[in-house]
Amino acid sequence: MTDLAADVTPTRTAPPLKPKRTWRGSGKAYLYLLPTFLVLFVFVYFPIYDSARLSLNRVAPFGGVERFVGFENYTTLLGSAEFWNTVRVSLFFMIGTVPVGIGLAVAVALLLAYPLQRMNWLYRMLIFVPVVISGAVAGTIFRLLYNPVVGFFNHWLGLIGVDGPNWLTSRTWALFAVTVTVMWRQLGFNVIIALAGLQNIDEQYYEAAKVDGAGPFRRIRHITLPLLSPTLFFLVIVNVIISLQAFAEINILTDGGPGQATTNLVYSVFVDAFVGTSMRGFASAQAFMLAIMIIAVSFIQFRGLGKKVHYQ
Amino acid sequence: MTTVDTAAEVATTRVEPQTERERFKWGNAPIHVALMVIGIIVAMPIIIAFFMSFTPLSEIVGRADPRIIPASWTLENYGTAWTATPFGRFMINSFVQTGVITIGQVVFSILAGYAFAMFEFKGKNALFALVIGSLIVPFELTFIPNFLLISDLGWANTYQGLTIPFLASAFGVFMMRQFFLSLPRDLYEAAKIDGASDWFYLWRVVVPLSKGAIAAFTIFAFLSAWNQYLWPLVITNEETMRTAQIGIRFFLSNQERNTDWGAIMAATVIVMIPTLVVFLVAQKQLVKGISMSGLKG
Repeated sequence: MTDLAADVTPTRTAPPLKPKRTWRGSGKAYLYLLPTFLVLFVFVYFPIYDSARLSLNRVAPFGGVERFVGFENYTTLLGSAEFWNTVRVSLFFMIGTVPVGIGLAVAVALLLAYPLQRMNWLYRMLIFVPVVISGAVAGTIFRLLYNPVVGFFNHWLGLIGVDGPNWLTSRTWALFAVTVTVMWRQLGFNVIIALAGLQNIDEQYYEAAKVDGAGPFRRIRHITLPLLSPTLFFLVIVNVIISLQAFAEINILTDGGPGQATTNLVYSVFVDAFVGTSMRGFASAQAFMLAIMIIAVSFIQFRGLGKKVHYQ
Repeated sequence: MTTVDTAAEVATTRVEPQTERERFKWGNAPIHVALMVIGIIVAMPIIIAFFMSFTPLSEIVGRADPRIIPASWTLENYGTAWTATPFGRFMINSFVQTGVITIGQVVFSILAGYAFAMFEFKGKNALFALVIGSLIVPFELTFIPNFLLISDLGWANTYQGLTIPFLASAFGVFMMRQFFLSLPRDLYEAAKIDGASDWFYLWRVVVPLSKGAIAAFTIFAFLSAWNQYLWPLVITNEETMRTAQIGIRFFLSNQERNTDWGAIMAATVIVMIPTLVVFLVAQKQLVKGISMSGLKG
């Protein structure tokens, strides 16, 4: 070992017991950090500033000439029906992904947590697999499933005597159809998290409850759910953020339509910045609004931990 | 039972797990049925995509009774998917893009994680806060300026443009740092006394000891890079530079008019195969990695 370490850097004094942070000793650390920080500064931190700047300007579609307009983009945005439509779309997404999606995930996780000796690997594989599927792939497959002629959903509905709508072009059903697709892709992840939370609950609580004569439903109600609350809280936050960020499925299934029935804020940013006549200043203002929402939700996560949520 | 030969030994060791494992309990049957039904429903879209990719066009068009399993099987759809668009090229693009991003994120995260775990330096806390802070900055906030920057550099429709903005991962730095901190400090002191440089210690001691954590992060980085959508969509507009995910989107809009769903599903299967392989090979690590994010969260 020693021979290879004919050191590049001459050995300094022996490390003191309480390490001191000196500029002299910092050089090597900065070298190790350089690649990461170069990328973070150029592609994460600087763009935050640039986005803010763009959002206060009106940017000409070609040539990129900018004119400072103050908060005009924001006031226009908050006064536009399109913006409130995106809020409505995102809220609908959340109803699907948060109560319904998480409820389903917990129910499935409860079944998976049951100590079956056999076949468990198979069930897990089948239920976890959406976790590796991309939004584009999910969107494409569901586009087939929703197809009114060759698709399967309407065929199956027909078997029980229901005449299915043309899902993706229907004003009433398109958003539902997209939400189901996003929920499907999210299910594997949610089940994995919920299952880990369940398995983290100490067995002795159940034993004690059994001794006290509590049935399975009371055990779920009074032991599982309270002790699972940190996990549920995490799932709510993650799924709210995912609802706000849904993009690939929308792009492939409905392109934001019909009309703007499935246009969420991300989609609106994309359309205003890159489709047709670009309005990059206005799009940046929207991106900022979206970021504020997402960051606010992330902060709730930091603050909420250990407060309302029951910890063991 | 006094004669213990090797055969008996083998036999007992093989019997043991069976006696440990309880025999099938009929009381569990409802749970088995429920899980089987749920499992099949959840995996159904993927199963349908697979079967559809082998179904001949004649069977798909104008059928009154869609069936999941084709009556006759064909490989024609894969031929169509591969030749109607430069799908081979899309796959190469995706492999290059994913490969560069994954290697970059893994190597840079190891370096930065090591610095945060092992070195004392000015501004350590502030710099670490910057790394963690970047985790909550959504991509939607940065992608317009990044698009303008990459375009100004002339990197639209290039591999640089596809990869360079993603070469660092705050999540990776955090994960590597956490893992490196859990390694015994004595080892480091001993290596130092032996005169080992940090560079040597990192690559010859720390990295081999951290194979599990590095593998978990590599899987995560690979999957997120392969499945990227928004950025490759805006930064490429030349067909030859599209990634596979974007490739399916355009293939879909071309072939849908001909209701060539067999070919569309063949393309979809091609695109998801690498991720499915990763899932099948590394399911345990993947699940463990995801579970940990939840338990800590």
